[in-house]
Amino acid sequence: MGVFDSPNRPQIFSGPPLLLLLLVVLFCLFGIRLWYLQIYKSEFYQGRAQENRTRQSTMFSPRGIIRDRDGVLLAENTPAYALALVREDCHDIPATLDQVSRWTGQPLDELQRAFEIGRKRIKHFDEQVIVPNIPFDLVAVVEAHHQEWPGLTIAVRPKRSYAYGPVLAHVLGYVARANEEELNNDTALQLGDDVGKQGVEFVLERRLRGTKGLEEFEVDASGRVLSSRIVTQPSKGEDLNLSVSLRLQTKATEIMAGKVGSVVVMDADSGQVLALVSVPSYDPNEFVVGIGHAKWNELLEDPLHPLQNRSVQSAYPPGSVFKLVVAGLALDSGIMHPSTKIYCSGKYKLGQREFRCWNKGGHGATDFRKSLRESCDVYYYQLGERLGVSALSDYAIRSGFGSKTGIELPHERAGNIPSAEWKMKRFGEKWQGGETLNFAIGQGHTLTTPLQIARYVSSLINGGALLRPTLLRSQSPDVVGKLPMSAATRNLILDAMVATVEEDRGTARLIRRPGIRVGGKTGTAQVVKLMDKYEKKDTKEIPYKYRDHAWMASFAEKDDRRYVIVAMVEHGGHGGSDAGPVVGSVIDAIFNESMQQ
Amino acid sequence: MFDRRLIFHINWALVLLTAVLFLVGVMNLYSASTLRVASGLELDAYFNKQLLWGGASFCVMTALLLFDYRHFKALSWPLFFLSIFLLLCVTVAGKTIYGAKRWLDLGFFNLQPTELAKVAVLVLGAQLMARMGGRLGWVNLGKTLLVGLVPAALIVKQPDLGSALNILLILGGMILFKGITPSVFKVLVVALPGLLPFGWFFLHDYQKQRILTFMNPGNDPLGAGYHIIQSQIAIGSGGFWGKGFLEGTQSQLRFLPEKHTDFAFAVFGEEWGFCGTMVLLALFCAFLYQIYIISLEAKDDFGSYLAAGVFFYFFWQILINMGMVLGIMPVVGIPLPFISYGGSASVVNFCMIGIVLNVAMRRFVFKKG
Repeated sequence: MGVFDSPNRPQIFSGPPLLLLLLVVLFCLFGIRLWYLQIYKSEFYQGRAQENRTRQSTMFSPRGIIRDRDGVLLAENTPAYALALVREDCHDIPATLDQVSRWTGQPLDELQRAFEIGRKRIKHFDEQVIVPNIPFDLVAVVEAHHQEWPGLTIAVRPKRSYAYGPVLAHVLGYVARANEEELNNDTALQLGDDVGKQGVEFVLERRLRGTKGLEEFEVDASGRVLSSRIVTQPSKGEDLNLSVSLRLQTKATEIMAGKVGSVVVMDADSGQVLALVSVPSYDPNEFVVGIGHAKWNELLEDPLHPLQNRSVQSAYPPGSVFKLVVAGLALDSGIMHPSTKIYCSGKYKLGQREFRCWNKGGHGATDFRKSLRESCDVYYYQLGERLGVSALSDYAIRSGFGSKTGIELPHERAGNIPSAEWKMKRFGEKWQGGETLNFAIGQGHTLTTPLQIARYVSSLINGGALLRPTLLRSQSPDVVGKLPMSAATRNLILDAMVATVEEDRGTARLIRRPGIRVGGKTGTAQVVKLMDKYEKKDTKEIPYKYRDHAWMASFAEKDDRRYVIVAMVEHGGHGGSDAGPVVGSVIDAIFNESMQQ
Repeated sequence: MFDRRLIFHINWALVLLTAVLFLVGVMNLYSASTLRVASGLELDAYFNKQLLWGGASFCVMTALLLFDYRHFKALSWPLFFLSIFLLLCVTVAGKTIYGAKRWLDLGFFNLQPTELAKVAVLVLGAQLMARMGGRLGWVNLGKTLLVGLVPAALIVKQPDLGSALNILLILGGMILFKGITPSVFKVLVVALPGLLPFGWFFLHDYQKQRILTFMNPGNDPLGAGYHIIQSQIAIGSGGFWGKGFLEGTQSQLRFLPEKHTDFAFAVFGEEWGFCGTMVLLALFCAFLYQIYIISLEAKDDFGSYLAAGVFFYFFWQILINMGMVLGIMPVVGIPLPFISYGGSASVVNFCMIGIVLNVAMRRFVFKKG
């Protein structure tokens, strides 16, 4: 081995020792690197390998469908096509959006904005809906150009459809695309999802909406799917049966045609609402496909406010209907005996002010039964004066007024029951004695919703239970309170209500129906203090906006079935003559054909 | 002419290690040739071809044992000029594959003269250095380097930077093995690092890109950095025990590029884990150790230098390929001996083993009986 042994060769950087050195370096270098990759960082790389080969996709679940109490479909899901983008597959996003803009006619900047907002919320390889609800001929066009625009796909998403449109708009409400705020508040929502915005769709969103599922695909490097498995099964939303009867709802809507107002039909014993009409109405289907600015402004600026659900979102002075409440307190507290007569001369003087009865000629000697039957104002002025504002106010609140009923509808109004404290707080003024008199006949600051009236009348005939009104067929009666009234007083009031219908002088005689026990109470709510110049004129001659609201609160009972029917016609004039026929027709509709219990 | 006693002096350890490495390579190639499709597994033809090449290479290796390696001395110059001639032929009449002119179409197969050049430079280098006494001074260093630079220049033009670099590195390693005078050593230590930046200007754009990508693979994860990232994911996700034979998702689902050639080691690492890679690394080191022993025990300088050349031939490939796969070196198209698929490479590998086995079995001087 000669040369390597020579003493002038001290360095190890040559000869066989060099090879040995390199060998050791090689082993250590790679040994350490392998330890680093395969042991120290193995979990990280295992995650990356897993990510490489799996793609996840959301499995959509259908929203629960809504039926009426007889099983008629009210809200269902129909297939609809949406233009969607998978950005990982798209080579040139700006050009693709430009093409989408040319196809759909939507402005490019709007599409770009929607895309930018949406992309943050979309999982990798998931379809991002760019334009929902595209017509079928556009589907064909996009499919034909599939090769030129990779990443552009047609997504099939269910679209909500309301077969009866305006008839049930205020009950069902509608779904529409979730907005930025809703997306932020609910992580389960994805861009392009529909969410309940109004009505039952909004309030029962959680029950109606299903939960999305997750499907996982194993893919190779070019994205070909090799296998798939379902990680989470999607679950369908709950199907709901409403207590509403489409037949009755349609009938009541037809009767109200051309009018403005509300009709509530309620099962007095269960609290289930059979009809909840508010006219004028709108077509909820327009919101589902995205309502245009023009249409939206038209609805907003309509002086008749078609978007307003008058049954629960509007509060009106109850007028003489409120006498049913005042009577309860007066009889129970003993300040008035039912047979005690008060003389009505057509007016009542309090201090310097004169309060008139609607009947200028006066009712003469009036007992309790007559006071309600003929709706004598003077009788109730006196009751009001004797009871005082605070007792009246307290009693009305305990009878369920001034607070929401809790029905499954959004933006319900609580109405208002005034009191001395309320007035001081609200206007900074002292309560005047005369206001108590107005309070007693349901005028002034007293405000109630038609549904509150229906709930009150229900409690009169169902034995005194204050129920939470419900729109759900499966809901068992939900007693939230007890009417603060004795059974004897209740029966006296019910008798008087029947007399109002059955006796010839009764103000509600128009709704008399043979074979059915019908009771009612009319009401006329003043919109403004009638100016003298209109005073002697017929309703038809008074300008529309100054006309009174007409109320009719009634019940109909036959074979142990008790229903409450409340009609309110805005600016209708007189309760008996304007709201009465509406109630009469509804009672016919209820009993003439067999109603399912 | 062939003494039967020589058989007993064959380095059986090296033969065994070579066989084991080759079989590990074939087995790994079987997995690397497999693709998962929706209906199951799909096998490419690489595995069978490699076995055929292995058999042929084994015959070549055996043939190289028949005569004394000292006859190589006489053959060194003709072999060298033959390879230069063939390299020149390539530049004129070469076959272009993937934009590179590296092959001569001989009808029945494509000859890659580069592989022959590696053997020629190695043998000629060893022969020249064996005749030079002591460490290399400037003159001898120049002469020796010229042996490598001429073919390297021709190979760079193909372009095949990897092979050119390989030839220069083999020669460089042999020069270090031989030793250089302290004065040359001092100058080189200072000058070489100084010259490196100038080398940058001779690189092609794609080569510069590879180096830049190596520095920061995250810059372009779907483009240039893809190889590096996917390779490390494959290796790293193998963990301690590996995913099991034919279970590597990175390779079977085609996330790993060049998986049967340059990145075959990543396939192995993914399926056999840290246990497997350490065993393979140990096998390679034992293999190199045997070559080191042969270089140590050679009966003359020529034999010793030949063995050293073979050592460097394998050493650089292992270092560069594994370094690339493990993400500590830039991507250079150099295969891992026995593990990567490649016909010509297989033949050359076995030739090299043949040369060192020849040196080893003739390490004793026999009396003519």
